[in-house]
Amino acid sequence: SEAKSGRTDLIFLIRFRHCCLLRNQRCLLAYLYDRLLRIRALRWEYGSVLPNAIQFHMSAEEVEWFNQYKKSLATYMRSVGGEEGLDLTQDIKPPKSLYIEVRCLKDYGEFEIDDGTTILLKKNSQHFLPRWKCEQLIRQGVLEHILS
Amino acid sequence: QRVLLLVASDVDALCACKIIQALFQCDHVQYTLVPVSGWQELETAFLEHKDQFKYFVLINCGANVDLLEILQPEEDTCFFVCDSHRPINVVNVYNDTQIKLLVKPDDDFDVPAYDDIFRDEEDEEDEEEDSENESRGSEPSEKRRRFEEDVIERTMRRRQRREWEARRREILFDYEQYEYHGTSSAMVMFDLAWIMSKDLNDMLWWAIVGLTDQWVQDKITHMKYVTDIGVLQRHVSRHNHRNEDEENSLSIDCVRIAFEYDLRLALYQHWSLYESLCNTSYTSATLKLWSVQGQKRLQEFLADMGLPLKQVKQKFNSMDMSLKENLREMIEESANKFGMKDLRIQTFSIHFGFKNKFSASDIVYATVSLMENIEKEGPETTNFIKALDSLSRGNLDKLHQGLDLAKKQLRAIQQTVASCICTNLVISQGPFLYCALMEGTPDVKLFSKPVSLCLLSKYLLKSFVCSTKNKRCKLLPLVMAAPMDVEQGTVIMVGIPPETESSDKKNFFGRAFEKAADSTNSRTLHNHFDMSIIELKTEDRSKFLDALISLLS
Repeated sequence: SEAKSGRTDLIFLIRFRHCCLLRNQRCLLAYLYDRLLRIRALRWEYGSVLPNAIQFHMSAEEVEWFNQYKKSLATYMRSVGGEEGLDLTQDIKPPKSLYIEVRCLKDYGEFEIDDGTTILLKKNSQHFLPRWKCEQLIRQGVLEHILS
Repeated sequence: QRVLLLVASDVDALCACKIIQALFQCDHVQYTLVPVSGWQELETAFLEHKDQFKYFVLINCGANVDLLEILQPEEDTCFFVCDSHRPINVVNVYNDTQIKLLVKPDDDFDVPAYDDIFRDEEDEEDEEEDSENESRGSEPSEKRRRFEEDVIERTMRRRQRREWEARRREILFDYEQYEYHGTSSAMVMFDLAWIMSKDLNDMLWWAIVGLTDQWVQDKITHMKYVTDIGVLQRHVSRHNHRNEDEENSLSIDCVRIAFEYDLRLALYQHWSLYESLCNTSYTSATLKLWSVQGQKRLQEFLADMGLPLKQVKQKFNSMDMSLKENLREMIEESANKFGMKDLRIQTFSIHFGFKNKFSASDIVYATVSLMENIEKEGPETTNFIKALDSLSRGNLDKLHQGLDLAKKQLRAIQQTVASCICTNLVISQGPFLYCALMEGTPDVKLFSKPVSLCLLSKYLLKSFVCSTKNKRCKLLPLVMAAPMDVEQGTVIMVGIPPETESSDKKNFFGRAFEKAADSTNSRTLHNHFDMSIIELKTEDRSKFLDALISLLS
């Protein structure tokens, strides 16, 4: 509109400023989108409950988005695998064996496995356990998978 | 069913542990591994886990004490004990249900017969009842006669009982007096793997390292070592015959084990030949390298073989090929002239990849120094875990770290031995020799650990025997003391048997230490699985020693 009022020498300045604004907007959108992608990856890495340290850094809208994503993923998983649903977040890499050897990196306390018995996870103790029970703890950093 | 593995802290136990871990993984047996370094840790671990496990496997711990009394387990708990400590406690031998011992059948035990030590409780009750029944006679005179007969019978039975008990005490005393070691646990485990047809070259290597550990720590006689080497040699040729055939040779990265009649010099392929000669107890003691004359003799020895000093002080791998070619035969010839007749020993070595060649004793030294590393990186078990990892082929960086630590340890040992001999720190106390390390001695912290202290004591005794002119002192055993924890004021003490040609490696210090501690009420801690290693308070040291002297004189 400034151009219409005849100040034609300012049009370049305005256009330049507009381009800058658009660029900043694109950068912000890219940043926000990248955050969303990372939050999505968090669901696959940490499971449905995020550690407090991470939730602290997320905005309310992002938390909302995360919950929605969780819901749609859960609905999908339930629809895929027959009666109980298929947990796609397990076994992301093809497993090589049924049981794996793990070492405890910190004192965790008692850990219950499928047949009801508990294992005491103390630092530096080693265990040979079914893979699916250990994955969660490996991701949390409590256990370390040992390759022989 | 899940199993708890309790593993002691020595190299033989680590090797046995690796083998049984591999077997469990093969069969998908869920297990938990807990390292234990002494009786207290064993009890703690048992208490923590006893509700969760019914099956316990104990490696290199638990055979020489009454397990059921110490641990007080439930009725359905079962212990599998694979331990090279002897003598095995008689309760463990004769227990049918709860304790299963994994031993080789031809290991001689000399266990006393069952009837000599155990007597059923019921016999006594029957005797009492019989005597009561008999006294319920009918007529007074008959009663009187029968009463006298009863009294005579009862006194005879009591006398028999006392005689039996006295004989029992004697038998048990003879049986438990001397401590020694049986077949290596790693070899027993390998045998198990072989019987199950699940043995691999890797497991064979661990069995070899376990046996070599027993030899390095002087726990078995030379005869037994040679016999066991023969057994392992058969397995080695069975697993490793393919490389003789040119067409079907294996890739260079595959594991190959070879039998070698190798030099007895510690770590010589990872060090320089000169350093190795100086820091191996055999050469250092025979040449008396702590004295100036000894150093001259070393130079003569090298000159006799035609090895230039410059070459010999270089890293072994960089020595001239022409010198390395006939090195073993050359050294053996010259060694014979200088009084070292056993410089070569039968052993095995492992090859994988282009650069990696290790002799069994190299691995033993490296693992020992990793396990007893004094640099605290966390709880005690971290060192155990690191040492356990270093035994796997994929963890070469840990192995190399272990080799470096081993070099430091061997150097420290030699320097301490040299200073002890030169300052006459080894004194004869009558029935034994005694040496105490003072707190300010360099590297004394290294010797607060049991295996390092034992190695130091053995090397010191060897050197002392070569250096002294007193014939009687040459046959004496050695008791060695070193400060363990300065803040708590404790001292660690080990006793080793005398150094003779045909020694049967039987150690009586376990019982002697116990008795001396009891008689003086010293505050001692018999925490180690080897009974001949104890910890005590520094203040009680002198009265403990006095009691020990009077006990053994």
